[in-house]
Amino acid sequence: MTLLPSLPITIPLAGAVLCMLFRRNIRAQKGIALFTSFLILLTSLTIFASTKDGTIAVMNVGDWPAPFGITLAIDMLSSVMLLLVGLLAVGVSAYACFDLDEPRMKFGFFPLMLILLMGVNGAFVTGDLFNLYVWFEVLLTASFILLALGGERAQLAGSIKYVTLNLLSSALFLAGIGILYGMAGTLNLADLAHLVKDGARGDLLTMVAIMFMMAFGIKAGMFPLYFWLPASYPTPPAAVTALFSGLLTKVGAYSMIRMFTLVFDSDPEFLHGLILVGAGLTMLSGVLAATAQYEMRKILAVHIVSQIGYILMGLGLFTELALTGSIIYLAHVIIVKTNLFLVAGAVNRLKGTYDLKKLGGLYSERPGLSLLFIISAMSLAGVPPLSGFFAKITLIIAGIQIESWAIVVVALGVSLLTLYSMTKIWAYVFWKPAPEPLPDLDPMPKGQWFVFLLPMVGYTVISIAIGVFAGPVFDYASEAAAQLMNPQAYIDAVLGGV
Amino acid sequence: MLTLLSIIFIAALLAPFVHRLCPKYTGAILVTAPIAMVIWLLKKIPEVGHGHPVTESFQWVEKLDLELAFHLDGLSLLFALLISGIGSLIVLYTQGYFKGHPQQGRFMMYIIAFMASMLGVVLADHLLLVFIFWELTSFTSYLLIGFNHNSPDARNAALQAMLVTVLGGLFLMAGIIMLAGAADTWRLSEIIQRGDVLLAHKNYLPILILVCIGAFTKSAQFPFHFWLPNAMQAPTPASAYLHSSTMVKAGVYLLARLHPALGSSEEWTLILTTIGTITFLLGAIMALGQKVLKRLLAYTTVSALGAMIMLLGVGTSYTIKAMATFILAHAFYKAALFLIAGGITHETGGETSVDKLGGLRKAMPISFACAILAGLSMGGFPPFFGFVAKETWLHALDHYPLLVGATVIGGAAYVLVGFAVGFKPFLGKMPAELHAHEIPLSMRFGPIVLGLCCLAFSFFTGSIGHNLVQPAATAIVAKELEVHLHLWAGFNKAFVISLITLMIGIGLYCSRSFLVATAGRLGVLVKFGPDAAYQFLLNGVLKFAAWHTRVLQTGILRDYIRVTVLTTVALVGAALVRAGGFQRWENLAPVSIRIALVAILMISATFATVHSKSRLRSILSMGVVGFCMAILFTFFGAPDLAMTQLVIETLTVILLVLAFHHFPPFRHGSKKRTRATDIIIAASVGITISLLVLAALHVQTPTPVSDFYLEHSYKEAHGRNVVNVILVDFRALDTLGEITVLTIAALGAYALMKLKPKKEEGGE
Amino acid sequence: MTSIILRTSTRYMFPPLIVFSVYLLLRGHHFPGGGFVGGLFAGSAFALYALAYSVSDARKAFRQDPRDITAGGLAIALLSGIPPLFSSHAFLTGTWWEVPLPMGGVLDVGTPLIFDVGVYFVVLGVLLTVVFALGEEE
Repeated sequence: MTLLPSLPITIPLAGAVLCMLFRRNIRAQKGIALFTSFLILLTSLTIFASTKDGTIAVMNVGDWPAPFGITLAIDMLSSVMLLLVGLLAVGVSAYACFDLDEPRMKFGFFPLMLILLMGVNGAFVTGDLFNLYVWFEVLLTASFILLALGGERAQLAGSIKYVTLNLLSSALFLAGIGILYGMAGTLNLADLAHLVKDGARGDLLTMVAIMFMMAFGIKAGMFPLYFWLPASYPTPPAAVTALFSGLLTKVGAYSMIRMFTLVFDSDPEFLHGLILVGAGLTMLSGVLAATAQYEMRKILAVHIVSQIGYILMGLGLFTELALTGSIIYLAHVIIVKTNLFLVAGAVNRLKGTYDLKKLGGLYSERPGLSLLFIISAMSLAGVPPLSGFFAKITLIIAGIQIESWAIVVVALGVSLLTLYSMTKIWAYVFWKPAPEPLPDLDPMPKGQWFVFLLPMVGYTVISIAIGVFAGPVFDYASEAAAQLMNPQAYIDAVLGGV
Repeated sequence: MLTLLSIIFIAALLAPFVHRLCPKYTGAILVTAPIAMVIWLLKKIPEVGHGHPVTESFQWVEKLDLELAFHLDGLSLLFALLISGIGSLIVLYTQGYFKGHPQQGRFMMYIIAFMASMLGVVLADHLLLVFIFWELTSFTSYLLIGFNHNSPDARNAALQAMLVTVLGGLFLMAGIIMLAGAADTWRLSEIIQRGDVLLAHKNYLPILILVCIGAFTKSAQFPFHFWLPNAMQAPTPASAYLHSSTMVKAGVYLLARLHPALGSSEEWTLILTTIGTITFLLGAIMALGQKVLKRLLAYTTVSALGAMIMLLGVGTSYTIKAMATFILAHAFYKAALFLIAGGITHETGGETSVDKLGGLRKAMPISFACAILAGLSMGGFPPFFGFVAKETWLHALDHYPLLVGATVIGGAAYVLVGFAVGFKPFLGKMPAELHAHEIPLSMRFGPIVLGLCCLAFSFFTGSIGHNLVQPAATAIVAKELEVHLHLWAGFNKAFVISLITLMIGIGLYCSRSFLVATAGRLGVLVKFGPDAAYQFLLNGVLKFAAWHTRVLQTGILRDYIRVTVLTTVALVGAALVRAGGFQRWENLAPVSIRIALVAILMISATFATVHSKSRLRSILSMGVVGFCMAILFTFFGAPDLAMTQLVIETLTVILLVLAFHHFPPFRHGSKKRTRATDIIIAASVGITISLLVLAALHVQTPTPVSDFYLEHSYKEAHGRNVVNVILVDFRALDTLGEITVLTIAALGAYALMKLKPKKEEGGE
Repeated sequence: MTSIILRTSTRYMFPPLIVFSVYLLLRGHHFPGGGFVGGLFAGSAFALYALAYSVSDARKAFRQDPRDITAGGLAIALLSGIPPLFSSHAFLTGTWWEVPLPMGGVLDVGTPLIFDVGVYFVVLGVLLTVVFALGEEE
């Protein structure tokens, strides 16, 4: 392939460049951003269609043969991630066009958003370790600026924590790359995997693996490395938080899955055992932190941590079924969590606050919004037959199958607490009458309100669809997991069977 | 079956729209869905009665072996009929009960969705499918209990019911997954044939306990019973339907269903009989002291559920016959009484206390008539169906004198409650402040039909026994048996005990005011009950969560960095120790003097950076580090890098100086102690990374890709400067990424400098 | 900050610096240099100008908004990857043309060179965006 795998990177870049050139024309920027988002979705659909039979789409950038140039390699996991990015791009940019304030748009929100998408996509398509690092830098820079854009005090305080801890991750990542390159003389993931399987460098490899685990763990929001997340996520506007919640930590989780199935799979007892312990602590710590919060965005933000725990649980269990669960969980949580943040943004738009104690009465006032919230919230809590249920039960079954009781108990307990904190939002924001009457700050006419809700309706429908059409979803996810568990096909596809 | 279920689910989804279009006939339109189900079920009675279950199955999730599999046998049929039959009546009742209520459509939606879910529980043949519907009933129950969402009590009760039942649901989930693993199939109809395998399986006991906890929470068994009386915050149609006649029986259903698979062990008998009997007695005794109509009924429901579990635990074919009969009897009289109680409250302007009601017979004659029928059936008076059930039950417990004793106490309490709800509000003098009128037509169907059934069933005992009870009991026992119910079984022991029970019950009713007063005095005991334990536990978790968050999320960046860094060092260190420590010092390349000099300069500059007392000096010292790096690059033959590094360092210094006057005054924020700690932490990181790098040097690299670059740079990439060719050709994509980073960094720097929040907005 | 010496020397230094930066850019493929360093040099020249005179003078001398230059550079770099697609090579494959020079000899022109030009402009634009913005902050 000469082009297709690079499009997820180049299309958003082109869109961003155009937006930058149309610096003064916000309307044009909106149009470009929306159009680019649709193109991203379209591209990812095309890629999805061409890889869903298990083909790995490989492209050697600059026609330099692997492992010498940079290789882009898209397997089923990558292409489902791309698809999710596409879905997110469309919804969030539509929401942003509607909801974001003018100054932020004027100072580059759209190019930054598109470049964030470029970075995320880059991370999902690349088959090269250093290139992965580059995409991490792209999305770190973009996200840092998006966080700080607007310059409010809370934003700045949050973004400093964000950038410092994430730079720590970058440093570890880079050091890890250096050492690994010193050991193997290559940066191509497939080539690395190939060499690792040949050589007997187990001990050292395990140590390097831990550096990567830490680097990705910080990105993913693993316990006890997640502090940047609750400090920064609840500070920017809803559109930004929604985008972040859907993408940033997931790139970390994705990279962790990629590296620990492809390259670092030689010492699963120790490494994956460690990931499993981390996963358990992550889900527990995240949900406890959420339980202690009384601010809608904060609850949702720290819940991300908890959900990362579930995703990593699948990797830690390291069976095909468990990875199937992780993949479904990834897809589920990206959609649902983004949606919940959008709903929270809508609540804030109406009532001017995220504070659980001040809010109330939305169940009577806004039945549509309530419905959107409760479906997503219950999906997150794992109420069947929504997407979260299937994701969770797969992981539980996988855990029980290999009799990993501790993680099963933790996962079940955490899901109860998740339910608790979701119903807390529901009871406080929707059911409870408002302690003091809160007039609608932005009484929109019906048609406009409907357009505003449209992205949320879309995500809700997807969440339900993942549940209802769980059959095909599972077929796909388990194929993808099988690819991860048997990386030889990936290696062969990239190296051409060397 | 799937079609009918889907129709009911669709009816639920459409309910709000139907309500908006024709609010007066919402109930009448929507009730057609459950009635279709009833008709279909009635038509299947002969077939199922002859031992031919109706089955249906569609693939859903192949990779999980999850099928939409349904299986209608006698047990399912009995429950499904109750659910859809009573459900139809409830839908009609709701129409009148919520007349003019703005959220009636939503209520209809929830209750019909519940009905569909509950039907799913009893019809599904796949364990996961059962669980899916099971959780859906918990969820719809949450929405129904909290329907009066403006009341904090309703919200708390909803949460409590949900947490308890979902907690049980999680145990159940683990239980069924293990059960399916042990039986090697998800299909209930196959599992129940593998009782021997399961009994011998190493996981038998855990499975049994997990499944029991799931069933007990749902069916409000001790010590989880407390949520049910609290759930009476739900509007009456929901209480009548979910919390007396259907949902709470899901646990009973599940255990009955699994009886052939798990039932033939001592553990089963022990657990079920003990818990069932305790719940039976506890519920009955607690009911004695209640004042509120719905709570009287709620506690007897708890008790009745306990009785069912008890009978199931004993597990002889007699007790199971008795259980099936009792389920039937209980569903009718309890639902009827609930609906009448709801009607009374509805038509008297919200009065809920038994003792403030009286003399309603004139205002509400139809309700009164129905109440008599249901109340007497509940008390177990002949010739009502409650009596038939009680007779069968006593007869079945012939060899269990203790349980007979318990039955007498429980039965007496039922008499009291039957009288208190069925007679007390209607007899005597009407209090002056009470105004009442008869319930509207739509609300009459339920009480009348149910009340009449309480009586009429007694005269068709043969047919009922043969067509409903016998197939159900057969399914539970998993062997052929005959059921012959009799209204009049002769003047035997059971009848005598029955009479004694009735007399004690009437006695209790006469001394009710004393009982209520005693209960009031014993109210302090509640502090030690499971309800208090629930609160204690919930508060404990919340407190722990708050503490955990305070300790971990200090909000101080330094703490976060420390934790992050120390975790890394600890884990890498652990791997190092695990690998047997670091053993490779030999073989290092000799260090030349010029390199050593540069290194020393770098290290000193680093110290100077950290130690300097002015910002300018720090910046300059840092610049020295950068310049040294450039020198090192030239030593190792990378002039490009050296040049770039030089320019970058210069520019950094210039930029920092430019930005200088925006900075706050310079000060050392940290104390000596923290600095000392920081030094240790920093040093540990440095040492760890250095060790790793040293170790990595010893690995023989096969052929690094850089060799390829040297070889192909000029030949194929038209460039002699390999570094540049790498940047713009071999790895141009990296460069593309990096210049993007630069671009947005500039964009960001510009935005951060120029875009300031408006003063009046403050913190958004 | 404005001294006569600095201004005068800047006036004489400025053109050679710019020329040198272009020289660095063009020779980069064979000898130390390249778009990155070239861009840095050019940027430094304007930064120097801004220091010696004033930011607004430097802006005038630069004529364009540096943000447009940045975006343009990025666009050039991106577009340089496209020509190889027409000869069914992968994105960003180096494609070379031999351009005969009027005085004899040939010039080797390739997409990597164009890419490097993009880099040059991005670096230049980025540097000036930041320097100008910082300088205007007072």
